[in-house]
Amino acid sequence: MALVMTVIAIVAGGLLAWVNNVTSGPIEQINKQVIENGIKSVILSDSDMKFRVEKPYEKDGFIFHSVYDMNDNLLGTAVESTDKNAFGGDLKVMVGFNPKGEILGYEVLEHSETPGLGALAGEWFRQESSEMKQQSAVATILLGAPVKPGNRNIIGMNPGDGYLTVSNDGGQIDAITASTITSRAFLNAVNSAYKALSDHIGIETESDTGVEADSDNDTENGDGVGAADVGDGGFNAGAGSTGAESISNTSPRN
Amino acid sequence: MNYLKTIINGIFKENPTFVLLLGMCPTLATTTSAINGMGMGVATMFVLICSNAFISLLKDLIPDGIRIPCYIVVIASFVTILQMVMQAYVPDLYNTLGIFIPLIVVNCIILGRAEAFAAKNNVLASICDGIGIGIGFTLALTLVGFIRELLGNGAVFGHRILPESMDMLVFVLAPGAFITLGLLIAIFNSFKNRKA
Repeated sequence: MALVMTVIAIVAGGLLAWVNNVTSGPIEQINKQVIENGIKSVILSDSDMKFRVEKPYEKDGFIFHSVYDMNDNLLGTAVESTDKNAFGGDLKVMVGFNPKGEILGYEVLEHSETPGLGALAGEWFRQESSEMKQQSAVATILLGAPVKPGNRNIIGMNPGDGYLTVSNDGGQIDAITASTITSRAFLNAVNSAYKALSDHIGIETESDTGVEADSDNDTENGDGVGAADVGDGGFNAGAGSTGAESISNTSPRN
Repeated sequence: MNYLKTIINGIFKENPTFVLLLGMCPTLATTTSAINGMGMGVATMFVLICSNAFISLLKDLIPDGIRIPCYIVVIASFVTILQMVMQAYVPDLYNTLGIFIPLIVVNCIILGRAEAFAAKNNVLASICDGIGIGIGFTLALTLVGFIRELLGNGAVFGHRILPESMDMLVFVLAPGAFITLGLLIAIFNSFKNRKA
């Protein structure tokens, strides 16, 4: 009896080791791609601006990717952060902060949340889409009471002004419908990403920044011209001179 | 032919979703769109065929007292293989189905067919049973997903064909899954009874 069980377990283990060996390469490749796309998306909102990413810096389980434009101005830092208390286990997000600590964007990198509920986290905490509006309209019908207009967009918020918490806990962000645990874990991951960033890399406070007005507009201008000038964006570092005059106004900080 | 009959049997007479009512959890949870339902069905079919084949091969070697742990090891191995392969080559589908891929291990269809069929029949028949039940499960999930996606999102396999104003989003949410499945079971059984 024990012999049969042992043999089966050994054969199964060997088979799994072999498959793992074959698939680990492609999986790593895909994960790398996800990280690269994530950085681009959370910092640059998928514009075609040329940029370079510093070698990732890892500390206490957080991974920092600092993103610079071609004049070595810091555009922002993408932080990979994991919360272990989501509904289905680990929830791994990447959050992009500008140098002042405002959230530029986010991506959910890995999760085990329930499809249709907690798995919505990737879309939920952004500007409300028409699909989401309808979903809350349905919720209104089902619950029999009007739902107050949602407040769940975290883009542009600064966790330095007060950590983000869900409205059930007295915070300012609406949790995903029927997925408060996922929402809590998500905001926790964002907050701890901010904290890690300010502890290990540093964040500009209001006092030590210069002229801040219109910095958003400037970045947008820079994007457009930069794209036209230097062609495809990418991870090619050190081509600094090409877009120099076009994006020189990107950031107030040098 | 006998083997063909086994396959047909799995699709209609013993359809896992509409007749046996097995594997309801993934049926309700992953059918938010036709393509998700189909992905889940095909993933389950792969595991079902492999585990049926191997359990049928091993049935004379495995002592009766420890057959369930042995079956679970076989099933779990194939699910893990599937999980790694999907993660490597179809990451989008892998991300959508999420937790339900590893949960195929405890899908009662698989262990149910191992006990009810593979442990009593030869390899070829067991493979045919896996194919039949797998196709039946895939068709059922695709159909439920198709209806939910069409009524809820006005789309067919991701392509929108109805205006947004006609969407009934309740069908994408959990209650819609129960309503759709209940009505489909009723329709399926009424056809089945008429034939008999």
